[in-house]
Amino acid sequence: MVIDILMLLEKGIWFGFAALGFAVLFNVPQRTLLIIWLLGAVGGLTKLLLMQTNVPIVVATFAGASLIGILSVSAAHNKHAPPLVFSIPSVIPMIPGAFAYRMMLGLINLSGTAVSSPTYYQTLAETTSNGLKTMFILMALAAGVAIPMLISRKETIKKISRLPDTE
Amino acid sequence: MNGENIKKIKEVEEMLLDVGTLLMSSGASTGRVRITVNRIADALGYDAELLITSRSLMLTVAEEDSVNYSSSVRRTPPHGVNFKIVSGISRMSWRVIEEKLTIAQINLEIERLTSLPHYPRIIVLSTVALAGASFCRLFGGEGWELVVTFVATFFGLFIRQEAMKKRFNPYLSIVFASFAASLISGLSVKLGIGDSPEHAFATSVLFLIPGVPLINSLTDLIDGNTLNGIVRGVNGFTIAFAIALGLLFAMLVYGI
Repeated sequence: MVIDILMLLEKGIWFGFAALGFAVLFNVPQRTLLIIWLLGAVGGLTKLLLMQTNVPIVVATFAGASLIGILSVSAAHNKHAPPLVFSIPSVIPMIPGAFAYRMMLGLINLSGTAVSSPTYYQTLAETTSNGLKTMFILMALAAGVAIPMLISRKETIKKISRLPDTE
Repeated sequence: MNGENIKKIKEVEEMLLDVGTLLMSSGASTGRVRITVNRIADALGYDAELLITSRSLMLTVAEEDSVNYSSSVRRTPPHGVNFKIVSGISRMSWRVIEEKLTIAQINLEIERLTSLPHYPRIIVLSTVALAGASFCRLFGGEGWELVVTFVATFFGLFIRQEAMKKRFNPYLSIVFASFAASLISGLSVKLGIGDSPEHAFATSVLFLIPGVPLINSLTDLIDGNTLNGIVRGVNGFTIAFAIALGLLFAMLVYGI
């Protein structure tokens, strides 16, 4: 049990570093780096924990990305940077690289195999499954991040329209 | 029409076009570009209407309660993602409201933001390489596989930066980078370094994934900016295709 927890925490650290790399690549302000590391780790851990309790990967990813999305809106208020600065680098470690890679291999394989070959339908089924997982995980990531941003933006618009009255 | 007023409108127009095109090319979503430009225009007492596409920006600025207006189109510069600019302009737009910045002050701030340094190249290369190794670890890689992914990502990104500097087509630059990275990680598969070198091969190209276009694509689609959402999505898929092409070349070279 203790070892399980330690292994999970170790993965959290790697999630954080993966997020940090993309943060530097996207040239985020220095004051946001630590938060991005933390958000990446928290989001990734949420996904892993949910998957251990047999939640499907798409739903678990959506939950992790939504958590990142919500936290980055509050981080945006504290650190004075738009939410996307925090949320985009943080969710990138959850991108389904392995599924996308297997789908690509499958497609390459299919394009070179005859339909009459005995392995064709097996490959087709695996490729379809990997492709669908890739697509839905990507959509879950993007929706999880986008929805909290869109909800919070409504509030900032309200603040703007209130400003002239207070003057 | 008053010549002085028209001159003022032109100044505002130039500044707003700067703000809009900078935001667009730095990786802001369409909604954010529109909101920020309107926020600044409002604060200065002008009405702004925008037509935002991925490659250019069309803007009409009008004085409130007046017939004076001016329209202009500008191409969006093809710079890469830069969140320091997105964040800086967003902050500035609030200062325009709260501290009543003048147009000259705004232009100075834009100049300051665009001249802000990027992270040093060696830092970018090493942290992105570390991110690549992290990916490898997350997908179950161990020991030498992490080292291989680190090295492959480091050189892959180096190649991409060099190709962009030499003004190659951006998608072609990604093909080069993906090919270089998977050549290095593919070598470890060929030589059998580590227990499962496929992990290194699969994760060495992940630093190229089009995260910003894909997430902004969905943000735009949900926000109702359907056309821009589609454009960004297609851009993301083209990048994914370019990555796969580089990977495919490496597989052909090694016969994996």
